[in-house]
Amino acid sequence: MSLFDIWLGILQGLGTTAAVTAYGLVFAVPFALVFGVAQYLTRGAARLLVTGVIEFWRSSAVIILLFVFYYALPVVGITLSAMTVSAMVLGLNAGGYASQAVRAGLQALPSGQKEAGAALGLSRPAILLLIELPQALVAMSPTFVNTLIQLVKATALVSLVTLTDMTFRAKEIAQVEYNPVAIYTALLLAFFVVCYPIALAGRWLEARVAAPGSRSRGI
Amino acid sequence: MGFDLAFALSSVPTILGAVGTTFCVALVSCIGAAAIGFFFEMVRRAGGVAGLTTGFVIDFIRSTPVLAWLYFLYFVLPFYGIRLGSMTVGVMGLSLYYSGYLAEVFKAGIDAIPKGQSEAARALSLSRRDSVIHVIAPQMLRNIAAPLGNYFVSILKATPYLAVLAVPEMLGRAFDIASETYRYTEPLVVAGLIFLALALVISHGVKRLERRLLAVGAR
Repeated sequence: MSLFDIWLGILQGLGTTAAVTAYGLVFAVPFALVFGVAQYLTRGAARLLVTGVIEFWRSSAVIILLFVFYYALPVVGITLSAMTVSAMVLGLNAGGYASQAVRAGLQALPSGQKEAGAALGLSRPAILLLIELPQALVAMSPTFVNTLIQLVKATALVSLVTLTDMTFRAKEIAQVEYNPVAIYTALLLAFFVVCYPIALAGRWLEARVAAPGSRSRGI
Repeated sequence: MGFDLAFALSSVPTILGAVGTTFCVALVSCIGAAAIGFFFEMVRRAGGVAGLTTGFVIDFIRSTPVLAWLYFLYFVLPFYGIRLGSMTVGVMGLSLYYSGYLAEVFKAGIDAIPKGQSEAARALSLSRRDSVIHVIAPQMLRNIAAPLGNYFVSILKATPYLAVLAVPEMLGRAFDIASETYRYTEPLVVAGLIFLALALVISHGVKRLERRLLAVGAR
């Protein structure tokens, strides 16, 4: 097998990597929005409950969450495909991180924004949807890009629950061809060509939205 | 089947017995990552070809998954005749992967120190060495303490990745129990809960440290 063949072999897993990422976003985006806003709006016991759910998904070790849900859900009678379980666990973990950006973005807005909305006679939901969320989401967009990159990288885990993503393909090729240098360099490069353009887009976005002097370097 | 609480409790001592291994792996990896990350950042700051190359290396590391790095080191090093224990390889992998992130932490920590500080040190005719040791480093350490603590938690949560290299940390122990008894749910849930508790406790400690450091900084 030439280096090029190895590279092509690994890229056969790109579809699965992309599918898990996209399917993961289906879980991550609603979770981040709903729980980030809920944490911002609630007080007292309700807030404790919301924070508890977020912390469960955010502070657990994601590899263990994946195995727990992969093995434990069938035991309690819920059978989901490996793809669905992976997307759910990786998506909600990323969503937990993103929810903190949503909340922080909302909290960082000057209170004059909310007050101006109220002075115009807008209802609370209208203030949230029309005034607060658009500004907060734009301001935090570089953080969401970083979370997306973390999600793409986390999909390497699905190779451990039998999905044939790029990492799984690399291990398959390694079984028929003893050339670890080429195979695992190709695997790293495969992820790099996917993630680096996203990181560059994130930096471009950050330069657009960030106030001068408050920049980080993305990824 | 269902969830057998008695069996879950019986697996606690075995899994908890590996908490020391997990903690040591995380601590050594964090120190290694800080050392490599600091070196990377110093070379990057120096600029020139070496600086640009190092900047690219940092970006490359941050665009690739930790699992791919672990496989890379685990299979490529023996190819060149370098035979190391799986624990050593695991620590190397985590150190290398997180060095890319810690380089950014050092960068932010140094950038946040006002220029006037090093100018004042020069005005007092301190040598370059003395100004770094007595003026810059203490302020940098205060800036990086909290992010470093947060990355320690991230590294701790990444130690179960080492189970794929058969390192006997907590997830590895949980899988040992699972393969002996054919019951996966209980040991995995136990390992997951221990990790969650560790992460929450240490995060809380880091938050308190951060608040104290901010109070000192505001004086």
